[in-house]
Amino acid sequence: MRPNPGLLFVLPALIVLFMLIAYPVAYTGILSVTNEQGQFTGLQNFADVLRPRVTTQALWNTLWWVGGSIVFQVLLGVATAVLLNQTFPGRAIIRSVALIPWIIPGIVAATTWAWMFHTEFGIINYMLTGVGVLPEPIGWLTGGQTVMPAMIAINVWKLFPFVAIMVLAGLQAIPQELYEAARVDGANYWEEVRHVMLPQIRPVIVAVTLLLVIWGLNAITIIYAITRGGPANRTLITPIQIFRLAFENVEFNQAAALSVMFFGVVMLIVLVYIKALANQPGDNQ
Amino acid sequence: MTAAPATAPSPRGLRRPGLGLPLILVGCAALMFVCLFPFLWMGLSSIKQLQELYTIPPRWWPDHPTLANYYKVLFQSRIPRYFLNSIIISVGSTGLALILAIFAANGFARFRFKGRSFLQACILVGQLLPTAAIIVPLFITLRVLGLVNTYWGLILVYMIITLPLSVWMLTSYFKAIPIELEEAAIIDGASRVGILFRITLPLSLPGIVAVLVYAFITTWNEFVFALCFATDSSVKTLPIGLAEFSTEFNTDWGAVMAASMVMTVPIALVFLVFQKLFVGGLTAGATKG
Repeated sequence: MRPNPGLLFVLPALIVLFMLIAYPVAYTGILSVTNEQGQFTGLQNFADVLRPRVTTQALWNTLWWVGGSIVFQVLLGVATAVLLNQTFPGRAIIRSVALIPWIIPGIVAATTWAWMFHTEFGIINYMLTGVGVLPEPIGWLTGGQTVMPAMIAINVWKLFPFVAIMVLAGLQAIPQELYEAARVDGANYWEEVRHVMLPQIRPVIVAVTLLLVIWGLNAITIIYAITRGGPANRTLITPIQIFRLAFENVEFNQAAALSVMFFGVVMLIVLVYIKALANQPGDNQ
Repeated sequence: MTAAPATAPSPRGLRRPGLGLPLILVGCAALMFVCLFPFLWMGLSSIKQLQELYTIPPRWWPDHPTLANYYKVLFQSRIPRYFLNSIIISVGSTGLALILAIFAANGFARFRFKGRSFLQACILVGQLLPTAAIIVPLFITLRVLGLVNTYWGLILVYMIITLPLSVWMLTSYFKAIPIELEEAAIIDGASRVGILFRITLPLSLPGIVAVLVYAFITTWNEFVFALCFATDSSVKTLPIGLAEFSTEFNTDWGAVMAASMVMTVPIALVFLVFQKLFVGGLTAGATKG
């Protein structure tokens, strides 16, 4: 039988992806149930990695980090998109400038904001004490209570432009008839936002939220570059814990066990989301 | 885009309501401030002398602007070498991903075969992979292959990030080309590969540029894989170089800000030049489903 030419076109990319993704994923599974000599040890690595209190703490930190980031990314992103959906002179320029935080490297965002959050010489403490919001400078990155919110703020700043541009594209795809119908019914602008725009962009928001969850779970850069998970593990999220287990403690097998659990949870989230996406009305697939 | 011209006569009740001008102005001003202030502060800090950086309270404008920080970054650090490494790795990975993606997208867009939607879904899942979960086995695999601390190691690994979305974006571009053009070429006796290179590619140039820009920016910015797989200074990329600058005990913030500028400017330029294509390519998938 002659192979289908379509399959031949697709094959090279699939082989590369298989080698780079499927093989490592399977290999992680093997590593997680063996020891350094390659002997089968059952669930020993899982027990070892789950026992320390820091693993639970990292899990809560991760939830807090992803959840906190997404709420503000979506709120700010949608607000920005609604603003930029208006027609006014200079809109094109503002739209490009608003994307710059998303384009720049995460590490640049991390260093710049770390400098702005600096306790003594940072501009943020200076501005906030100057206008009287804060009575005295705060150690944003050294205090246990403030460090995670600061990290979340940086992450929100970095990614809300992406939400904005996607939602804006969704807003611009809304058929004019819907607005006209709303106007015939005497809707004012905010009623239009609430009853026409928001329902129409729901699919975009769902899709973007999935990406944000994945990116949040992968986002090692900002936290690692600024605090490496400190102070006192306050910003230690699970991906950073995996990295430290593997490359600082050289416990590859325990890191693999943690990776397997992490991978399982992420894939579960992806599945739930894809199901939710597929169940949406008006899907044209 | 579809807004009616302001002069168009429209019944009063049907005039498009909108935000008031003051609200738009305030909103835009706030947006610009939030988006640009960190870069302004980065730029200002990069031309300040040490004693001006470390004053309480901080000073807005430098009294004695200096290029010493840039001199330090460009001539007394490894940043130029890392810059070169970043370019080699980004260009290599982007180019390789593009070649593979062109063929794969052509296959997905123009042929029917068993398991096509399943394979397409697999590629999309590749985009949603938690990268932290595979760094350990990837590291071990690269070590076995002798690719840790080589350009090829990072170029290959970066395809995990660039290839799935490139395939996905290009497939939707290829699908948008009228199939009649290709059928005419088949009648004229062109081969499948000939059609791809003579008809499909020239017609989807905007899509290809969008994919190139996307892949280049993501690989240029990538941090975690580079941190794990490039530990020798001969292959370290710019993000790692910047992290090294700022995590030592005595952080030289002036130099860090200058290095950040060096890293930001090229990517901002690439983006601003191509942003129309880039944004169009990205959002096409979002609205077409």
